[in-house]
Amino acid sequence: METAHIKDRLVDYLDGTLEAYQREEVKAHLDSCAACSQELEELKTILSAFKNEAMERPSASLRTNFYALVEKEKKLDTKVLPLQVGKGRKTKEWAMGGVRMAAGVALLVGAYFFGKYQEGNTNMEQIGNLRAETLEVRQTAMLSLMENTSASKRIQGVNFITEQDKLDTEIIGALADRMLYDENTNVRLTAVEALGKFTSFGQVKDAFIKALKTEKDPTVQIAIIHTLVRIQEKRAIAPMRDLLGKEDTQPFVKEQIESLIPSII
Amino acid sequence: MKRSIAFLTVFVLSTGLWAQGYTHSLDGIKWVKIESKSDIVVKTHSKSQLLIKGKTTDPIPEKAKGLRLVGDDGTDNTEVGFYVFKDGNDLIIRNLRKMDGGSSEIYLPSNQNISVNSKGLNDIEITGFSGEIEASAEVTGNITILEATGPITANSNTGNISVTFNKVNQAAPISISTATGEVDITLPTDTPADLSLQSTMGEIYTNFDLSVPDKNGLKAVSTQKINGAINKGGVKINLNSATGNIYLRKKQ
Amino acid sequence: METLTDENLMMDVARGNLDGLKLLFERHHMHVFNFLYKMTGDRMLSEDIAQDVFYKIMKYRTSYNNGKFVSWLFTIARNSLNTHFRNQRHTDGDMDQLNEVQLQEPEGREEEFSHLHRALSKLEASDRELLLLNRFQEIKYAELAEMTGSTPGAIKTKVSRALGKLREIYFGII
Repeated sequence: METAHIKDRLVDYLDGTLEAYQREEVKAHLDSCAACSQELEELKTILSAFKNEAMERPSASLRTNFYALVEKEKKLDTKVLPLQVGKGRKTKEWAMGGVRMAAGVALLVGAYFFGKYQEGNTNMEQIGNLRAETLEVRQTAMLSLMENTSASKRIQGVNFITEQDKLDTEIIGALADRMLYDENTNVRLTAVEALGKFTSFGQVKDAFIKALKTEKDPTVQIAIIHTLVRIQEKRAIAPMRDLLGKEDTQPFVKEQIESLIPSII
Repeated sequence: MKRSIAFLTVFVLSTGLWAQGYTHSLDGIKWVKIESKSDIVVKTHSKSQLLIKGKTTDPIPEKAKGLRLVGDDGTDNTEVGFYVFKDGNDLIIRNLRKMDGGSSEIYLPSNQNISVNSKGLNDIEITGFSGEIEASAEVTGNITILEATGPITANSNTGNISVTFNKVNQAAPISISTATGEVDITLPTDTPADLSLQSTMGEIYTNFDLSVPDKNGLKAVSTQKINGAINKGGVKINLNSATGNIYLRKKQ
Repeated sequence: METLTDENLMMDVARGNLDGLKLLFERHHMHVFNFLYKMTGDRMLSEDIAQDVFYKIMKYRTSYNNGKFVSWLFTIARNSLNTHFRNQRHTDGDMDQLNEVQLQEPEGREEEFSHLHRALSKLEASDRELLLLNRFQEIKYAELAEMTGSTPGAIKTKVSRALGKLREIYFGII
């Protein structure tokens, strides 16, 4: 029996997955080969190291955050289906959709991780699904980035959106939330700029009007005012006048408002 | 393990800093959040814990012996004039001294994520961090960040912001804004970045070669906005001032 | 009371009972987190990605294909990890860059890594991943084959070779 041949079987031997006769072959060889015996002992050590490796505990916020996401999702009641389901024989088509979807994900992953294993079984249909899937993955990534505890990551999430050509109401809503409620000035500012590209949506205009009334930071105020002036939003005039009357409005913000109001006709 | 304990012991004996310093573990801490009404200096050290050195100029009054400093936002639990507590994954550090109670120095490991918030007329100075930095001056105060790598978000209401980068982390964007102050940024010459520079009433100066200003510049509000890529583009860097100038310099 | 399998639970989630997600989270989040932690050596990052993984499980719930839940879960975990490194690198990097990231000892903070963890970190990312999934998470050859579009036999050979490499590192660096 060749040593190389035995070495290939040591892991199976330790796993106990060899046929009886194979086990005997390995055993017989081990008795006569010190090198293989040592290798076996070392592998045994490693396999038990895997078994005994301590599990690290993540911090409690992982649970808290995820539970919060679940609660939020329950309220949303949105359609999350990337793959359309026919009305008729629901279960079957649905299941098939799932399989194709999984293939898409596997393909996406495989390309990077196990690229060498997977050869030549792609077809056009899978690739088509992969494209659709990538878009979905991006959307998910954007949404989850915008919930990140790091302001820079939230800005990144917002920036990704500006690269999209199509948006759904969920994404726009998430973006409007950043503009209206994010505690970080820079995130709000970035969200104003991003939303400025989607002012054809009524939802977006409403959000700008609301932000004009609530925003306190002068830099963000100016960005909002400029956007509203650019789109000639007449509903902005009243809240701008309100800002003029307020004591805590910065003088240069007032200056901007005064110079810009006349340009809304 | 043993060696590091021995090392620590030697360190303690040889410097004696611990006598006036306060330390706190950073286990499980994702963000360190610092709030202060007097000047804040944040530096890095090679240890994995928080160290606060209270270099107070006026010694604690004789009469205060055995008493604790009490501020608006908490009670001194550090004996260096700070209130430090854990909030989930955050470690909150509040400087309880008002105005100028002497410049305390806060030391953290360089890869720590930090959020620094000035709540008064004070300045912020941060040096040497490779973790994420969030800095904001709510009222008025200058923000200076040295030996930076990003990601950074910084905002000051009326102060100047100056950031000098050693290199620029490509992982997440950089965003710096001030309402009436100046923004002064220094980048290594070979930094790949997509820049967006915007000043509503100020001027923009740079010695980087930026591609043409954005001329389809929307309906003539007076805003100046320049978008451009340097070194073929990379991480997004956004600089914004409402009334101040923006300076973008090559690192010499 | 009958114990629900992961698969039953997930089908229930797909039908709209989102509370089932919490149970699935409780059963698996430690495994996902530890897999990511061993891959990246970065605790905070691993928490971020783990959260993203469960978020995706929730978002994609209707696309669950009734297959082995754990395979699906780790397919998504690998995907998220990969996405993270791709985004971070900006350029279309490949997984081997993980090695580079891994070996950059963060200044200041020293994580206490086990000997196994350190030895693993010296393997190529694809080998490390395979061993973690097969030996640490105890995902079977057949399921790994399904996840990666390969055959059980090929996976077994890969695992055996990767263990061989690990053995050399493990006993070479004690």
